[in-house]
Amino acid sequence: MKRTLTALTIALGLSATTAAQAQTTVTFWTWYLSPKFDGYIKDTIAAFEKANPGIKVNWADKQDSMVQDFIASVNLGNAPDVVNLNIDETQKAAQNGFLRAASDLSGPAALNATYYPQSLKNFTSSGKVYAYPWYGWLNEGVLLYNPDLFKKAGLTRAPRTTTELLNDAKIIKDKTGAYAWVPALKDPNTASFLGYFYAEGLPIYGEGGKAAFNSPAHAALLARFVDLYKTGYVPEDAVRREAFQLATELYAQNRVAMIVGGPQALTRIKDTNPGLYASTVVTSAPLGKAGVQTGGSMALVIPTASKNPAAAAKLAAFFTSNAAQLAFAKVVPVVPTTLGAQRSTQFRTTSNDPVAKATALVGASGRYINPGYRAPGNSDDLYKNFNDNIEAALLGTKSAQQALTDAANYWNANMKK
Amino acid sequence: MRIHWRQTLMSYTFLAPALLLLAVFTFYPLLYGAYLGFTEYTGARFAQGLGPKWVGLDNFRTLADDPLFHTALWNSVRYLLVVPVLQLASLAVAVLVNRELPGMTWFRAAYYVPVVTSVSLAAVMFEWIFNREGVLNWMLITLHLSTPQQATGYLNSRTWAFFAVMLVTFWRGFGYYMVLYLAGLQTIPRELDEAAVLDGASPWQRFWRVTVPLMRPTILLCTLLSTIAALRVLEEVLVLTNGGPLNSTYTALMYVYAKAFQGFDFNYGLASAAGLVVAVVALVISAANFRLIRGDTEGA
Repeated sequence: MKRTLTALTIALGLSATTAAQAQTTVTFWTWYLSPKFDGYIKDTIAAFEKANPGIKVNWADKQDSMVQDFIASVNLGNAPDVVNLNIDETQKAAQNGFLRAASDLSGPAALNATYYPQSLKNFTSSGKVYAYPWYGWLNEGVLLYNPDLFKKAGLTRAPRTTTELLNDAKIIKDKTGAYAWVPALKDPNTASFLGYFYAEGLPIYGEGGKAAFNSPAHAALLARFVDLYKTGYVPEDAVRREAFQLATELYAQNRVAMIVGGPQALTRIKDTNPGLYASTVVTSAPLGKAGVQTGGSMALVIPTASKNPAAAAKLAAFFTSNAAQLAFAKVVPVVPTTLGAQRSTQFRTTSNDPVAKATALVGASGRYINPGYRAPGNSDDLYKNFNDNIEAALLGTKSAQQALTDAANYWNANMKK
Repeated sequence: MRIHWRQTLMSYTFLAPALLLLAVFTFYPLLYGAYLGFTEYTGARFAQGLGPKWVGLDNFRTLADDPLFHTALWNSVRYLLVVPVLQLASLAVAVLVNRELPGMTWFRAAYYVPVVTSVSLAAVMFEWIFNREGVLNWMLITLHLSTPQQATGYLNSRTWAFFAVMLVTFWRGFGYYMVLYLAGLQTIPRELDEAAVLDGASPWQRFWRVTVPLMRPTILLCTLLSTIAALRVLEEVLVLTNGGPLNSTYTALMYVYAKAFQGFDFNYGLASAAGLVVAVVALVISAANFRLIRGDTEGA
């Protein structure tokens, strides 16, 4: 009897050890999602673990230090398995060899069946897709405006084209004292002004991938913004601060009449100025001559240093699936990057609530998400140089043409393929 | 002889933990950083698991050819202007609050508050002050020293941004040096001051002839600390101006930070070389400080 019990105990112990060995722990890093979306993330992880009993997810949310922490973890040999990066950082990480290709892990067919072609293109580098596209946003998704300031300015409708927007900028400021809107002149860590060229149908790269944003047409467009800036029709802080942050701050103070952007601006206004939120009018955003939107997206990537790439790929695919993205879009007005989102009834509701209205306007528009330019190799240096040149034009130390030519020359001399 | 050997061993045993910590956290990073300055060590090499590759003086040639580094280094050297102002002001206030008057404890604490204030909070506060519609312009207009048309956004101005950021450094460092000076002042024997009073010396004469000479070791320490801090200023520039406008506030440490820690294109080799150049500048200026202030002490 005693022998039998001993044998049973050993057998149970061994089977427990085997089960423990079969359990894979996947480390998952998100970016700026905690604590606001803890509930959604935890619920999705629980659903994934239930569907994949052999995999346990260890989640951490990273904020300012995401990239540095990622690099440090690779150095220390304990890299995370799934990491949340945006388009630009994914491109940089892929160019430098930090990532495994999602198209190698899940196969191109599975990716093509799940995500919009443009979403996959955003994360493609050297012919391979390096990420599972996650939630996105449109820079010109919607236009929000303050009806009182519009009335004061004598405007009866929102601008529908960039040209109208630029013209309204003068009318609104002259008649109300408030700025019309805050353009993204030089947002840090990117080259946001390139988005305006894309929106007007002007090329960023030319033959052989060389920078080609210094034609007279490019310079003429920049000169229009320079003119508005120099004559006081654009807040001067726009050269120093991120446009979205500045715009939401000034809009809530009735000092900016319009925000061109995504519904996410509305959630901030709801917190800071509920009265203005209630009266805010939501409509379609003005488009440039090309009739295209610019936008950005987050993604889930698998580091080269991940020790569990197969399990990591499963988790990334689960989190970025159509069902999970639609569920996320119910929590916060993000734009899903999955093909299935177009068919969802979720975005066909009518409501007077500004957030619900904006969400309905942009929710199924994930196919348009395109930053308008691909991150060049060595982009940190190149973006810095581009922004310095835009600033030089705005502050009048260079002409618009000279600034763009200097930037293009620098890019072509320093771009790594 | 035997006792002497044992005493030496015991001394080193007591020193060992501190030396070990210094070796791990100071000397090794210092030497490794210096070594990296002569290597190519970029994001691409790092991701492939490749170590640093010796490239001799290549990084220093790159720095010599980079106008942004020249601007950054020049701005850091210009930033040293804050040092004499900061030291004189904190010494003067330390002398004032060293008196046994009602409310002095409160003043000492109040001056120290900026030292423990986070830089992001300070940035928000100084944004309100330096904005075109901010407190500073409001004060100048109210006092009829300026007109609404002359109001400037100080952080957006090529002329003023540098001094505006410097004022934040002054504000943040002032209390720290004041406390050090206060500690130094309290070690000066009262009899010396009393003797000077009996000799008929004026407060001004007592300050220059008694206080300042006896405070020279503290002045040397504070000046050195302040010089090194000014050369490696980063946080206030990063949060207030991000180096702008037109790189007028872009400092050498911002250059090092950008090359070493921004994005996946990082270049540890170039960042380390830039760090080495800043370290050499700091050493030269510190040596000059030593010669100037300690030399005077020896002569005094």
